[in-house]
Amino acid sequence: MDLTLNDEQEALRTATADWCRDNMALEDARWRAPGLWAELEAMGWTGMTAPGMDLDHATEAVVFCELGRSIAPIGLLSTAAANRWFADGFAGKVALALPADEPGDMRVLDPGGSAAVLMWQADKLCLFVTPDDAPHAPTIDLSTDQCRRSWTVSVQSDNTAAPLHLQLLAAAYAVGCADAARDMAADYAKLRQQFDRPIGWFQALKHICSDMAVRAAVARSQLYYAACALDAGHADAAFHISAAKRLADQAALDNGRANIQVHGGIGMTDEAAPHLCLKRAHLLQFIAPADAALLLKDPV
Amino acid sequence: MDIGFSPEEMRFRDECRDWLQSNVPLEKRPIDAADAIGFDKAWQRRLFDAGWAGINWPTAYGGRGLSIVQQVIWLEEYAKAHAPWIGANFVGVNHGGPTLILNASEAQKSYHLTRILQGEAIWCQGFSEPGAGSDLASIKTRGRIEGDELVVNGSKIWTSFAHVADWQELVLRTEEGSQRHAGLSWAICDMHAPGITIRPIRKMSGQTEFAEVFYDDVRIPLSNVVGGLGNGWKVAMSTLSFERGTGFIAEQVRAGQEIAELIATARANGMIRDDGIADQLAQMRAEVAALRAMTYRNISEVVRTGQPGPEASVIRLFTAELGQRLERMAVLLMGEDMIDFAYGDDNAVQDYLRGFASTIAGGTAQIQRDIIGERLLGLPKSR
Ligand SMILES: Cc1cc2nc3c(=O)[nH]c(=O)nc-3n(C[C@H](O)[C@H](O)[C@H](O)COP(=O)(O)OP(=O)(O)OC[C@H]3O[C@@H](n4cnc5c(N)ncnc54)[C@H](O)[C@@H]3O)c2cc1C
Repeated sequence: MDLTLNDEQEALRTATADWCRDNMALEDARWRAPGLWAELEAMGWTGMTAPGMDLDHATEAVVFCELGRSIAPIGLLSTAAANRWFADGFAGKVALALPADEPGDMRVLDPGGSAAVLMWQADKLCLFVTPDDAPHAPTIDLSTDQCRRSWTVSVQSDNTAAPLHLQLLAAAYAVGCADAARDMAADYAKLRQQFDRPIGWFQALKHICSDMAVRAAVARSQLYYAACALDAGHADAAFHISAAKRLADQAALDNGRANIQVHGGIGMTDEAAPHLCLKRAHLLQFIAPADAALLLKDPV
Repeated sequence: MDIGFSPEEMRFRDECRDWLQSNVPLEKRPIDAADAIGFDKAWQRRLFDAGWAGINWPTAYGGRGLSIVQQVIWLEEYAKAHAPWIGANFVGVNHGGPTLILNASEAQKSYHLTRILQGEAIWCQGFSEPGAGSDLASIKTRGRIEGDELVVNGSKIWTSFAHVADWQELVLRTEEGSQRHAGLSWAICDMHAPGITIRPIRKMSGQTEFAEVFYDDVRIPLSNVVGGLGNGWKVAMSTLSFERGTGFIAEQVRAGQEIAELIATARANGMIRDDGIADQLAQMRAEVAALRAMTYRNISEVVRTGQPGPEASVIRLFTAELGQRLERMAVLLMGEDMIDFAYGDDNAVQDYLRGFASTIAGGTAQIQRDIIGERLLGLPKSR
């Protein structure tokens, strides 16, 4: 039993964090450089657990937390899952479709430059090999575009681990998002002075920040446990990943809101960064959402 | 990362389970401290004789000298087997003993530690005073040095198990005119010494489990001071770190049992059809899972680095508040039957009323939030 990072994971985490800071800063989430996707692919994050890579989901979760902290593209989630579960049939970026029923329209997130679309459903992943040829529209998350597509023929992966994998990665993004909001709030609370002292001196503010730390720590712990359960093929992996997604989404949303409050007026401007975390959190809550019924089921 | 246990650890788990299965007492532990003292002592003795007391304490003092992971396994199996709360042995086993192991002289350790594990010596904690609660450094109880003795005057309050205890972790001011954290000492006080008066206090849940303690020229040999005269604050902080740090291991298993029972109850009485209740239950089920994950993460941090890591304070606050949410839900699911509660009843209402302690005792939730904000996030100190 060990839920700490080993040296290799710690090194990978630090390297990811450093790279993100220099090349994909959270503050620039709405103006991502056109060449970013190629760089992400070159860094290897689109296929960390692809067959032949020999990496586990726990390591992947650690890395995706860091990517999520920087509000990395949503397409990374779907591309990483597609590379793991669909050996061939597409090359390059895979956009993410929210679950929809045939034959209705599907809502496709982050379609820019994609070669295929991956739809998450609770029991399977469906891959549609279609080019990015529909008009884009914005989403609440300023870093993510969307488009509408009609349902077409797809390849499916019925492996029960496939949708869990994507859910785990989305939970990792949310944990990172919750961390980002927590750190932004704590940094501002040390910096901003009112009544001749940093506002973080006031318990009313300090305790808001402490609660953000609690939520982030709770969600991250469950994420690690869930990743290990998936790696070990445990029968209760689905339960643990659902629990992780629920707690991570909540942490991202609650921390996102709290961060704005800690910032005061500047916190609700378009110019400042806090809204970026909140809006990303709102998008993530619809990606591979946790199944409340599963959380109430008897343990396996 | 992995969540499995080694073959050796699994064998150890089987051993724990087997022994507990045939040895957990069938009768319930009485809920009042004075009635339970015989039960608590006998059970602790049985644990000791079978080698289950002090799993990770040094063998020289009656412990087993095993790893912290084995300690975790034992506590998990202990809770799974519905073994009784250790009650009056709580202070000695969970923080008095560990404080001595870390800070005491050889003579102090060899006299006290085995007695604690055997359930022969009951300990209590004399930290809080009427004027010194959250602000522990404002302690006024004083010990005047006379020859090779301390002569103690003052009072303590909220001392759990004082009326059944043999020894006390007593923090007092031994340097006249000293302020705050300076000039304090941590001494082993004999609760049977002349000059001690104990006034038991009843809780709103009905038990008489803590007390006010008055000291009137109580004499304590200087050789009972632990960690050196004037070093009381440092020793007391180590006591608090043990007090705040060990309880949660068994807690997470118990929380798992509770949430499963709550869901079953809500199904049986139909209240689960209320979406609000179903949602709260689902939420708590996820949180209980996370509590185990946090516990494992914390323990593996200790194994890796020798320290619990700064997130230990997070676990403590989260455990306390999650426990209270579970207790509130249990009462909610009782419906109007909850108003039947009377002192002496050992049911969910009792647990709910008692449970208010978890965000007060050993440092309130507000103080924990200060600690998290200041030590984990680096925010400026408010006090
Ligand atoms: C069941 C139980 C068992 C106990 N057993 C023991 C024992 O065995 N030995 C022992 O020594 N003590 C014991 N205690 C005492 C316990 O440690 C104290 O109750 C606790 O430290 C709080 O102190 P207080 O009760 O004086 O409350 P106060 O410190 O007066 O606090 C009152 C309220 O003010 C808040 N507050 C105080 N200071 C601040 C601040 N700086 N910022 C924000 N809020 C603040 C508190 O959070 C609380 O809500 C026990 C308490 C309970 C409930």
